[in-house]
Amino acid sequence: MKKLFRTIVAMLMVVLSLFSLVACGGGNTESDSGEVDTDGNTIVKILFHVDKSSTEGQAYQKRIDAFNLEYKDRKIKASPSFKARSAGASGYETELLNNQVEGTLADIVTFDAPNTASYANSGLLYDISSLIDAETQADFYSLNKYNGKLYGLPIQESSAGFFYNKKIFSAAGINVSGYTVENPWTFDQFKQVCQKLKDYGKIPVDMRIDATKDEMAPYLLYPIIYAAGGSFTSADGYTATGYFNSPQTASGFQFIKDLISAGYTSYSIGATDFFTEKVGMYLSSGWTIPDLDNKYRDYFASRDDWGLLPYPQGSAKASATGSWSFGITANHHPDKSASIELIKYLTSPESSKAITDATGMIPVRKSVNPNYQVGSPEHTLLKQLELTGRERPVTVAYPTFTTSFNQVISGLGTGNVSDLLANATNTLQTEMNRLQQLR
Amino acid sequence: MLGTTLIILAVFLAVFAVIAIVDIVTAKKRKEVYRVKSSATAYLMLLPAIILAFLFILLPILYSLGYAFTDYYLLKPNDIKFIDIQNFKQFFAELGERGTLYHAIKNTVIFVVGVVPLQIGLALGLAIFVNRPGKGAKIFKVCFFAPVVISLSVTSYLWLQILSPSETGLLNSILGVFGAEPRDWLRDPNSAMICIIILSAWQGCGYQMLIFLSGLSNIRKELYEAASLDGASAWKKFTTVTWPGLRSTFVYIIITVFIGACRILTQPMLMTGYQDHTVTLSYYMYTQGYTYRWVGYSSAVAFLMTIFIGGVTFLQRHLLREKK
Repeated sequence: MKKLFRTIVAMLMVVLSLFSLVACGGGNTESDSGEVDTDGNTIVKILFHVDKSSTEGQAYQKRIDAFNLEYKDRKIKASPSFKARSAGASGYETELLNNQVEGTLADIVTFDAPNTASYANSGLLYDISSLIDAETQADFYSLNKYNGKLYGLPIQESSAGFFYNKKIFSAAGINVSGYTVENPWTFDQFKQVCQKLKDYGKIPVDMRIDATKDEMAPYLLYPIIYAAGGSFTSADGYTATGYFNSPQTASGFQFIKDLISAGYTSYSIGATDFFTEKVGMYLSSGWTIPDLDNKYRDYFASRDDWGLLPYPQGSAKASATGSWSFGITANHHPDKSASIELIKYLTSPESSKAITDATGMIPVRKSVNPNYQVGSPEHTLLKQLELTGRERPVTVAYPTFTTSFNQVISGLGTGNVSDLLANATNTLQTEMNRLQQLR
Repeated sequence: MLGTTLIILAVFLAVFAVIAIVDIVTAKKRKEVYRVKSSATAYLMLLPAIILAFLFILLPILYSLGYAFTDYYLLKPNDIKFIDIQNFKQFFAELGERGTLYHAIKNTVIFVVGVVPLQIGLALGLAIFVNRPGKGAKIFKVCFFAPVVISLSVTSYLWLQILSPSETGLLNSILGVFGAEPRDWLRDPNSAMICIIILSAWQGCGYQMLIFLSGLSNIRKELYEAASLDGASAWKKFTTVTWPGLRSTFVYIIITVFIGACRILTQPMLMTGYQDHTVTLSYYMYTQGYTYRWVGYSSAVAFLMTIFIGGVTFLQRHLLREKK
């Protein structure tokens, strides 16, 4: 009996061992991206950077459902998956990189516009220049190009500006009606408005200088550096020395430091302080519009209570642009025809309108006429995009640019601008030199 | 990659099989019938655990060690070249520049030096405090252990609220009652690491408290009674009975807390982001590997870190060993 028991236990152990091997090996199974399902449909896998239950995620899902219905007869079926961005190790970018290493990349992925250079340079993205005709390309406000080749199509456009509380401005005797995209305010005029708000007893402006853990601060603040005449990298994206630490760049960062030093902004402004009328102005993007329209009715009953001002301008003109884009991956599936059909569908004028209606962002296609009322916040953002929009630096070292920029912003409170820029430039240049060797 | 993995696995299993066979054959030669049977069963039962340990512990270590000598860039996984010790040279070159790596090592040392005595001291104090009969002690045990079961991410966000730089932040509003100005605790280089040390010790000490408690329960009551009869004070009882009784527990705790402290990552990542005044070696390694995508270099950092932690652990064991 004992012998039988031992034999059974031993056999069980062996089976378990084999099972553990099979289970562990399961993750390496070849992806069926681009393959045909049992009904004869060509499957196009697409990975989104948002949570499925979010407003944006639901908008994507609806477009995918519509695509699957429309392309049923053509036997193409989109299969979406969603992985939300996060600050920690489980974020979207990590998922994407892991898939690249495992060889399980989806056929289409979403990516933030500044990553175009590094993804294209490393061969993650597929060159779609010849697959999108010139007329269609011309209809986009911006394109994801690197070295003259097209690697992605934006999902929606973005621009940012200074949301302001009209009630506070009126009570403080501040008139900003003359400041438009065509006739922008200057850095000095910006400071004068801040001083009046401070005199009135309000925190003048939330510049989001606390948002230095991810891409938020670089996205919102880089136009100020450009507007001051500064820059970050050379045109080829491999030189930071002489650009990131130039006197003009320093003057842009000095402007932000001056705002901190004068008490016009600080790192300690709460996330909802503008929405609860403690702060006069708030630097943010179009995604704040639905919040102001719907979430804070107690403070902002209607659009008469708030407005949007463009970026102040200096020796140059600049405003924030760039958002997430669709790109076809250079994965193991050589036939990209089904993927290109899906990407065209998702960036069509109809999809562009449907997605931006849900997110509050700007449609990516010029042919979509959103009929924004002149003077409305959306109109200001669109005008900015058309007249002063300037993309973030195109460099394969963009991740290092983000951390370097964030370190400078974070250090402005106590540090010296030139010292901070010297450190940041050194770090960025070192990284660029390393990447140059990979070329 | 799968092919390489299978070859390594085959070698590993072959070594394991040789050890098992030698053991069994030796037993047979000595005609130890019972040992022959029990050895065979034991090795078979060990097999699943050995394979899992191989796949999830040994294999990643082996790959990481291999990558440390390559130019592996995460976005180019199919274009890996051997570059001998370039990554290690770069590590020491970067260290000499006193840049982020220098700050990462400095901050890690500060964290380890701060958190190890604080966390162990707190754990020991709490263990002695709750090591008493009665219902009240159980409530305290649960309270002190509760932070351990909360994830570090949640704890970090909780402390972000406590340390919020605004006037309404919990700590600032309490200090404000006494007339103190609001402070940006996590952005200030003088206070950021201290805050991270305190929250980490608070979060982790409950676990060590439980281990100390089990150590305390192994100390015979008669020793305390004898000490009392000799008129020993509470402090004397602690130094002559409790502390010697907890020696092996203490060695285990100091080693595990030290290793855990060296690997600190989540708190600075979620609370301050990648800043020179809070970046740690693990965070630097993670950023190099995942954000900047230099897996080869990141693996070299991991390798050096492993050697350092292993060396210090060995030293700790040597210094803290019980002298016969």
